[in-house]
Amino acid sequence: MELDDLRRQWQQPQPVTDPAALNLAELRNLLAQQSDSVIEQLRRNARVEMTINYALLPVSLLVAGLASALWVRLFGWLLALLALVCIFYFRRKLGLLHSMNDPAGDLRSHLVRLITGLRTLIRFYYRLTLATIPVTGLLIGIMSVTSVLKVVTPTKIWLLAGLLAVMSLVIYLPIAHTTKRYLHWLYGQHLERLEGQLRELDEASPVG
Amino acid sequence: MSAAPSADFLAALHDYQPLVRRVCRLYCQDADDRQDLFQEIVLQLWRAWPRYVPQPDAKLSTWLYRIALNVAISNLRQRTRRPASVDLESDVAQHLAQPTEASAYEPEETAALYRAIDRLSDVDKAFVLLYLEDRPYDEMADILGITQNNVRVKMHRVQEKLRKQLVHS
Repeated sequence: MELDDLRRQWQQPQPVTDPAALNLAELRNLLAQQSDSVIEQLRRNARVEMTINYALLPVSLLVAGLASALWVRLFGWLLALLALVCIFYFRRKLGLLHSMNDPAGDLRSHLVRLITGLRTLIRFYYRLTLATIPVTGLLIGIMSVTSVLKVVTPTKIWLLAGLLAVMSLVIYLPIAHTTKRYLHWLYGQHLERLEGQLRELDEASPVG
Repeated sequence: MSAAPSADFLAALHDYQPLVRRVCRLYCQDADDRQDLFQEIVLQLWRAWPRYVPQPDAKLSTWLYRIALNVAISNLRQRTRRPASVDLESDVAQHLAQPTEASAYEPEETAALYRAIDRLSDVDKAFVLLYLEDRPYDEMADILGITQNNVRVKMHRVQEKLRKQLVHS
């Protein structure tokens, strides 16, 4: 039996695999549900995280402007900077996810768009993670200065700054490595599958 | 999306449900997965509907096939229930292979062909689907984004794969 033979019976409804057609009310109910695609989940998460950062920004600025202690003001400015970087990141991420979420094109261009989008997303995430290490180091440093040192002298500050710089360098490589592995675990399987599909679609040299 | 679906979208969706069901039938063997995929395709159709512009030389069905296949193939869903490869075992395959007026073949032959199709890659299944749906090569090329010549070559290869699988089964 060949495909031509199957074609004759293919278009007939199959009660076992094809449930009865939904009526208009059932279709409306179905449309009221949320998509379970990874892209849609990423968009929902990004929106929530961006909202949190938008809320964090005025609080940080308030702390930076109103606190009497210098270290608390510095802490506030750094938090505000971190929130701004995160807002920028999430805005870019949402724009990217929006562009990936248009399946109306042909299959090949759709695959290309998804692959490009996922690669950019991975690059974004990786760079943001690495960029936040120095800022986090500074935050920890400020907290250490205020909680550990009873008498703050310029020498002690320089010593602590040096220690933090060395620590940042030491943890930089493991964090970069772990982030890479985490991103591969998170998106790698999808990316490899999509790239494989694109290769498969493109390989069509003449039969011979 | 919060806006209520428009009447023309609901009417189109109602008419084309069997098409979407057939795509789901080819790509998912598990009933829950089929329902999940059906829902995802319908949601994506609705999302894309405002940007759909009817054109004299473009059929609505082409647009629907594109979205349905794009979602089914590239769909980045969390596959919690669906194993990497599920054999189209006797349950579904035998039911699909039940003799009909149009079929002159034994159910076992039809079931074997369904099993062979199920072992194909997702991309190859797209060629099979469009072939079974009786789409001309130019429309297949339009849906898949490759040339008509490539469609012919790929279609030939897919048929060869199926023949080999049937011989070995």
